[in-house]
Amino acid sequence: MIKLEAIIQPSRFESVKDALCEIGIEGMTVTEVRGHGRQKGHTEVYRGREYTVDLLPKIKLEMVLPDKLVDKAVDTILKTAKTGKIGDGKIFLTRVDDAIRIRNEERGENALQ
Amino acid sequence: MATLGPQVDAERQRIRERFDAGTSARETLQALCEMADRNIQQVWAELQSGHGTESQGLCLLALGGYGRKLLFPYSDLDILFLFGNEKAERDFRPLIAEFSKTLWDMGFRVSSAGRTLEECKRIEEDNAEFHLALLDRRFLAGDAELFERLDTKVLPGPERQARPFLMAQLRKLTRERLTRYGNTIFHLEPNVKESPGGMRDYQAAAWMRQISGEKREVWNSTVAEEELTGNAVNFLSAIRCFLHYNNERNDNTLTYELQAKAAERALGLPVNAGRDAVRSPADWMRVYFRQARTLNRQLLRYMEQKAPSQQSLRQRIFNAARVPKIEPGGSKAFAVRDGLLEINDQTALADRTVLYALFAEAAKTGVPLSRETERTIPYVMLHPELPARNAPLPWQAFQEILASDFPGVALRPMQRLGLLTDILPEFAAIDSLVVRDFYHRYTVDEHTLRTIEHLQELANPPDARGVNYSSLWKTVERRDLLILSLLLHDVGKGMPVENHVAGSLTALDSAAARLQLTADEKAEVHFLIERHLDMSATVQRRDIFDPTTVSGFAALVQTPERLQRLCLLTYADIHAVNPEALTPWKAEMLWQLFVATSNHFSRTLDRDRLHALDEVPVLQQIRQLTNSTSTESIQRFLEGFPRRYLAVHSAAEIASHFALYQKLDSDPVQTQLVATQHAFSLTLLTADRPALFASIAGVLAGWGMNIIKADAFGNAAGVVLDTFHFTDLHHTLELNPSEVERFRKSLNDVVRGKAPLEALLKGREQASRQRAPKVEVVTRISFDDTSSMHSTLLEIVTQDHPGLLHEIGAALARLGCNIEVALVDTEGQKAIDVFYLTAQNKKLSAQKQETLRELLAGTLG
Repeated sequence: MIKLEAIIQPSRFESVKDALCEIGIEGMTVTEVRGHGRQKGHTEVYRGREYTVDLLPKIKLEMVLPDKLVDKAVDTILKTAKTGKIGDGKIFLTRVDDAIRIRNEERGENALQ
Repeated sequence: MATLGPQVDAERQRIRERFDAGTSARETLQALCEMADRNIQQVWAELQSGHGTESQGLCLLALGGYGRKLLFPYSDLDILFLFGNEKAERDFRPLIAEFSKTLWDMGFRVSSAGRTLEECKRIEEDNAEFHLALLDRRFLAGDAELFERLDTKVLPGPERQARPFLMAQLRKLTRERLTRYGNTIFHLEPNVKESPGGMRDYQAAAWMRQISGEKREVWNSTVAEEELTGNAVNFLSAIRCFLHYNNERNDNTLTYELQAKAAERALGLPVNAGRDAVRSPADWMRVYFRQARTLNRQLLRYMEQKAPSQQSLRQRIFNAARVPKIEPGGSKAFAVRDGLLEINDQTALADRTVLYALFAEAAKTGVPLSRETERTIPYVMLHPELPARNAPLPWQAFQEILASDFPGVALRPMQRLGLLTDILPEFAAIDSLVVRDFYHRYTVDEHTLRTIEHLQELANPPDARGVNYSSLWKTVERRDLLILSLLLHDVGKGMPVENHVAGSLTALDSAAARLQLTADEKAEVHFLIERHLDMSATVQRRDIFDPTTVSGFAALVQTPERLQRLCLLTYADIHAVNPEALTPWKAEMLWQLFVATSNHFSRTLDRDRLHALDEVPVLQQIRQLTNSTSTESIQRFLEGFPRRYLAVHSAAEIASHFALYQKLDSDPVQTQLVATQHAFSLTLLTADRPALFASIAGVLAGWGMNIIKADAFGNAAGVVLDTFHFTDLHHTLELNPSEVERFRKSLNDVVRGKAPLEALLKGREQASRQRAPKVEVVTRISFDDTSSMHSTLLEIVTQDHPGLLHEIGAALARLGCNIEVALVDTEGQKAIDVFYLTAQNKKLSAQKQETLRELLAGTLG
């Protein structure tokens, strides 16, 4: 099992979510986050006041997937989240030892379905 | 005792079957209570005889809901073990343990406490809940004499002394509970016990009466009100029984699923009360909310009453001498008393003008109506000897309420009393309407009123999310139209239409016709309703840092004024979905889009110029309005103005400008002065010339006028159209109509160069400069050479003061800068001015910019 974390542009979220649903991935955790990588923030001035946006708004998706679905999920996110501009985000993959469904204590990949 | 368990199960089942067959909640609760009493007494007696002990020194008391004989199917049994002394407590411990286990095995959930008689004399300040539950004590089993001592000798004294404490604690606990549920009964899935309007409201009100000694006159309830309360309690009790049976546990949440089941069996509705008409879950929930409102209204009225307290003689004498605080209102039918609007003359309310003035006062001052006032209004409205006078509310009166600083303070009680639907019958479609949605938490009408309350909160934002939006709320123009849009934006959700926005727009058609909105007013509300989801959608689905997104959005919105309204509407609409919906993240994204779009408007003004031939519908409209035979001269007039000109002026205004334009041949300076509700608007049309803007600003300063907004546009033929909105600080024009002509002449003379400006200005500046500003604004001067192809943008943010615009204009003129376009605005004591400048038809050189910066910095400080 692999935990997939993707940081994406907020504007791409709906498309990414729909595309993941289409390949059978419906369970995910979504968080509104702020951050920056190479895409630094910028400053807007409105009515004499500076509004500095040094941490840009992003969406973080988290999901734990069975190994066989990981490549498909990564491809899907790459296809739908990419605009080609700086700031499109990143995907992180980490191995997960176990998963447990709290309701019935199922373990492993069974707990993911 | 082994046989008791199955017997109890069978009896429980029989009670449930009877309830399902239609037995009332009252009888069901009574049956459950009798069953519990009987079994407790039997188990206690059998255990006691088994242990060979006497009950002396111990008795069992039922407390709380069980004490009141309101035992719901899966509620806990609140039992107090009362000991005569500490020894009894030790001696009875094994018996009590066995007793509790036996009851548990029989399916009773016992929640027990133990106290000695001595302990009961003390008030536990950190456990007010226990003392409140003790108010409902009832003897169950054991030493009856011990109970008698507690009930008649031990408790009355401490309870009497503790009344102020108990009342204060009860109010505190109630306030906390109501706040936890957002202070509204209108939850989509309410908790029928705990949420506002639930059974707990009834109980809290009952405790308040009990603590104050059951003095009926204190609470002043009518027989009709008592009957309504009784009906509401029966209705909610039926629901709570139903929920317990369906959930098979003490879960009081009225979920969507159970709403449908309850509606299907017309739960709680009398047989002869049109049960068939109330089969849809939405209709049935409306009945629920009506009953919940009865309980909640009673509780809130009780909460507003002064807490009864033991007063010393000195206090009583002091209070008798003290006159209640009544603020000025003199002859008015109402006055502010102890921070609430109270009615002085009930009969005066029969005149609807007076009634609406009361709401207008609430909206203007933010002072709410007292519950007693709210109670009086329907009484007056329904009184056969007080026929309504001046019944229909004109748009202007409603507008006054909507445009105020606290519209929600008036609209909320107006809705409760049915007055809002008198004025806006369209609103009835969403009255108490539950729309299944896992995102929204409240009914549609509640959501709507919350949007308005979230906006009025922006006067003093309660948290960081609102800080940026505060200045928007304070400066937004046509607040009345914004609030009207909010009132109607979701009305379509209660209409049989596919798309609720289309329904809301239909509702606007009828509302606009009835309220007699002008075409422009209706168009603005139409836009806001039609596009009420667009800004939120742009924030969530578009890259708001992409200039294309911003320019596309600006093209949709068209004007900064409208952007401001749409932004506030979006902020409020998201905020009112549920308390967590407007995350700081979303609030910031929305603000970024607002700022980017706003800046786009001010930085792209001269990029988008009018080509009159592309504006055929406008040309035709102006031709009709001015009775012109052809559109040629209209084309000449419009050609080259920034597109914003069309966006900020109505067709009628453009037509009047054109009329002035046509007179330029006979008189080269054309002016038009119009008095608006709170200000004056001056339009001046003439051929462009150096220092023109500075001269007009100077005349206004010389006359003591305070410019709050201005713009200057030029067309391709070099005709400039300057518009100044100003307030008359000394009421010169308002109090002396003859001065209007002198003012106009003075303006004409200065602009034509016939009279010097300096004489007019002398003395005025000195007087005005002496006043210290309430808020310090740091001057900021910035140049932008990239936004416009032809001009250099100069943005000045500085402390506003009379004559400021003249000072800036004079500095610009001195350095030979030509104002191509100007946008002048104020925000409290802050002036925000944007000028598109050229010098000899080119952008300003770096050196000129620097010189100008120094000159302005020296002038503005």
